[in-house]
Amino acid sequence: MPPKKPKSGKSSAGSKGKGKKIQSPAARDWELSNQDHPEDIFPMVLTSATQELFDCQADEDVTGESPYKLLEKDDIIQDIKTRAAVSDFSPVKQIVLDYPEDELLLVYDRDFTYGQSFYLVLTPEAKDRILNPPKPETPEVFEKEVVKTPEPKPWISLGSDKEIDEEAFKESREKLLYKFSRVRRKFGVPVCFSDRNTADAKDDYLECASYQDSRFSIKQMQRDCGMQAVPRLQSSSAQTQWKFQKNIFTQYTPRELSVEEKENILQLESLKNFCNSVTPRVLQALQQEGIMNVFFDDWKALGTAADDGDWAGKVSEGLMLYQAFTDQKYTKDKKICSINWHPTIYGVIAVALTEKKEEQLNKSVVRASFILFYTFSDPSNPQLLLECPDDIFAFEFCPSDPNIIVGGCINGQVVLWDISAHVTRLQGTQPGKKVSVNTDACDFHQDLDDNKENKTPIVHYCAVSALESSHKAPITDVQWLPTTFEVTRMGLPVENMYNISAQVVTCSPDCTIMFWDVRVSSLVSHSASERRPIMDQKTPYSVPDTFKHLDRTWKPLFRVSLPKIDTSGEYAPLKFNLEHYTCNEANENGDSSKVIPDYSQLRLPSAKTLKALEDVNTKLYIGTEDGEIIYTDWKLGKDDSGRLQSAKPLHCFSIHHWLVNTVQRSPFFKDIILTAGSWNFAIWKEGVMDGPIILSAISEQVCTVGCWSLSRPAVFFIGKEDGSIEVWNLLEKTNEPVQIHSHVTNAKITCIKPWAASSKQHFLAVTDDIGMVRVFEIPKTLYVPSRSESLNVKKYFELEEDRLKDFLRREELWEKEKEAEELKKRRTEPDKPVISLVENEEVNVKEYNDYLMLEESVLKGMGLWQAPADTQDN
Amino acid sequence: MAEVEETLKRIQSQNGVQGIIIVNTEGIPIKTTLDNASTVQYAGLIHQLVMKARSTVRDIDPQNDLTFLRVRSKKNEIMIAPDKDYFLIVIQNPSD
Repeated sequence: MPPKKPKSGKSSAGSKGKGKKIQSPAARDWELSNQDHPEDIFPMVLTSATQELFDCQADEDVTGESPYKLLEKDDIIQDIKTRAAVSDFSPVKQIVLDYPEDELLLVYDRDFTYGQSFYLVLTPEAKDRILNPPKPETPEVFEKEVVKTPEPKPWISLGSDKEIDEEAFKESREKLLYKFSRVRRKFGVPVCFSDRNTADAKDDYLECASYQDSRFSIKQMQRDCGMQAVPRLQSSSAQTQWKFQKNIFTQYTPRELSVEEKENILQLESLKNFCNSVTPRVLQALQQEGIMNVFFDDWKALGTAADDGDWAGKVSEGLMLYQAFTDQKYTKDKKICSINWHPTIYGVIAVALTEKKEEQLNKSVVRASFILFYTFSDPSNPQLLLECPDDIFAFEFCPSDPNIIVGGCINGQVVLWDISAHVTRLQGTQPGKKVSVNTDACDFHQDLDDNKENKTPIVHYCAVSALESSHKAPITDVQWLPTTFEVTRMGLPVENMYNISAQVVTCSPDCTIMFWDVRVSSLVSHSASERRPIMDQKTPYSVPDTFKHLDRTWKPLFRVSLPKIDTSGEYAPLKFNLEHYTCNEANENGDSSKVIPDYSQLRLPSAKTLKALEDVNTKLYIGTEDGEIIYTDWKLGKDDSGRLQSAKPLHCFSIHHWLVNTVQRSPFFKDIILTAGSWNFAIWKEGVMDGPIILSAISEQVCTVGCWSLSRPAVFFIGKEDGSIEVWNLLEKTNEPVQIHSHVTNAKITCIKPWAASSKQHFLAVTDDIGMVRVFEIPKTLYVPSRSESLNVKKYFELEEDRLKDFLRREELWEKEKEAEELKKRRTEPDKPVISLVENEEVNVKEYNDYLMLEESVLKGMGLWQAPADTQDN
Repeated sequence: MAEVEETLKRIQSQNGVQGIIIVNTEGIPIKTTLDNASTVQYAGLIHQLVMKARSTVRDIDPQNDLTFLRVRSKKNEIMIAPDKDYFLIVIQNPSD
């Protein structure tokens, strides 16, 4: 086996071989000669038999890495002898015989560099060379040069000494010496030298003037001249120009004249003249101003409301149907009792469905009651369902947090929902927004079907009031207290520290009004710890626990009862209306920061720490079942025994003859209230205790609902039983509606709610008895207020008030006059009325007696006279 | 002195007049019915305006001269009557 060769050697040989393969004809390697293989190797082919014999099988014994095989000379000779001409070694027989050494090198030429697969190395020197290749030059390896100090070496002249010799200055000849002497006698006498021009004497000199030889001229092509680059130094300076001098700050005081100077000037004649001359002009100008305003543009001020320039084409005057919402599954055989627009999300309406009339007695077929949320983008499927324990008659969104909804049930309980988990779903259906609707499985619960992505989520209610402390009759109206004030347990209004709405007022025909608070109160926390384990079991999972503290234990803060004014008994309220107290103090920091508080963390503040607000108007307007409008105070007063009791109502008017279904304050005037019920409606002014300032005529249809327009102070809408909507405009016509949209729907209209979605879109949602919601778009004429409409309407109301007062006064006067007349009549003829009575009596008796006698005589004449059995008294 | 007072009284009696200021050519107020701060402010600003207006008029026609200047704003009207040595500023609130 050939010993292992250093890899470098092989690689170099191999690489050299490779190089040669590519450029074999032209390479001038020191190995190569004119042949394509050097003389001392011989390419040959070895058959596989030979290979086996010599143990040099290709790719087995010899490979690309170890291509060398040393063969014994004797073996080769043996092989030649045995196989003679067939042997592969026969061409090299002579060489092998002459080979001086005993071993020959056979190299496996894998790459066929020399044309065959093997080659035999013929000379020992070549063999040595191949097997032990000389150490290759490794030019890459640097030896570290040791830095040595240079040694002085003898100077080798390179020709520069000649130049120096040429340039050096040497004496070319001996110095000449001239000796001058004078005669002795002139010794010490000053010498006088003078000059003599050589040109004066003619032959004193010979000159050889130079002249320009015309035969040739040498032009100097090159001239050596010394140069030195000298940097040109220049020193310069720059300073920017302050072109625009601008004062950054100026501090000044005005020049003033001292008092004496002023006095002096005032005395001056010129000032007097000035005043005299100037006064007429000024007076004229001032008076001009008083006469008329020259800059007033009459044309422009003429029509701002009527024609607004940018209306193109036809403009509808009436309400246009925008969309209709209905859902077959949930609204079948149900009527809608209450509707609300979502206060912040565009295009979302919530409707409360209740069973129609008599069906509520039929308990065997009880269907779950829901509040449906519709959005504009999907009119036939509700987006969200709120599950209610029973039918809901009234519900409201919380003004500070639109995710909290409070509702009043038909069984008298108050229910709370928290829809914050589903708000994205509602918002995702907004136009233009591409919020991915995230309906995770965690929000579904108790669904019998599979949790499909498109199933409407049902939100269970968070909290329900305690049954024993709720109303005993259906709750017909629910309102949130505004963010400006709060109420304590004692019934006193106090300031609202956090500017959030956390209290609810409910009313019900069981003759009470209750105030509730949704926050955790400190008193409840003691009992809550006991109740908590029970509550945890019963509360289903995935219900938001915002109001966990209230569930089933919620009690109202206090109750207001409504005793009747004249008689005993109480009023049964259906709808009520509070005045929204606007706090005009400076602590309105809540306006800018719209931080919605977490309702589960709210705590009821201790009543002592809050400041009582004195000027809150604590009076309510209430509409009752019997058609009365009551004006009462909900502040509890103390009666004789020291207990808190509700005061008697201040006023009661029986204007409507049947159920009152609307008591609504105008959004523009704090003291104007619209009430509707039975066959008419009325407008009241708070403070005017004599009656409504406007009372409409009795109409043929029952007015089922009324609501003010949100943008025009003089416009309001009345819904009727036959499904028509009347639009009233107090500034145009006061005795009849401006527009009547008859047959908006086939059923009775149950609810109307307007909404201002944007400055260009105003909607009116109308619901009816058969479960349909219709959204109308209010035309521009009806929502753009006319110029100074608010002022005009105010004036109109004042007029009406005056008229009412005047009317009442006149009535009184008439009464008085009538009485006076009666009295006068009685005095002038005092006997007649007395006598006439007695006289009449006598006359009658006399006539009767005459008749009896006549009867007797007649009967006697006929022979039928019978003695009268009866005893008649006169 | 009395004449000046009388003039001021006459002007003040017109309806809507809020204040009167008499200013000399340099813009220093001489007599006023307003408080000091407002007077000084009005005098300084209006003096510049009058100078500008006068120079404008005279540039266009050198024989012309400014006789009266009225500045009407949303809230009130300022009337300025210039003269050789002084000028008079009246601030009026128009009645409508």
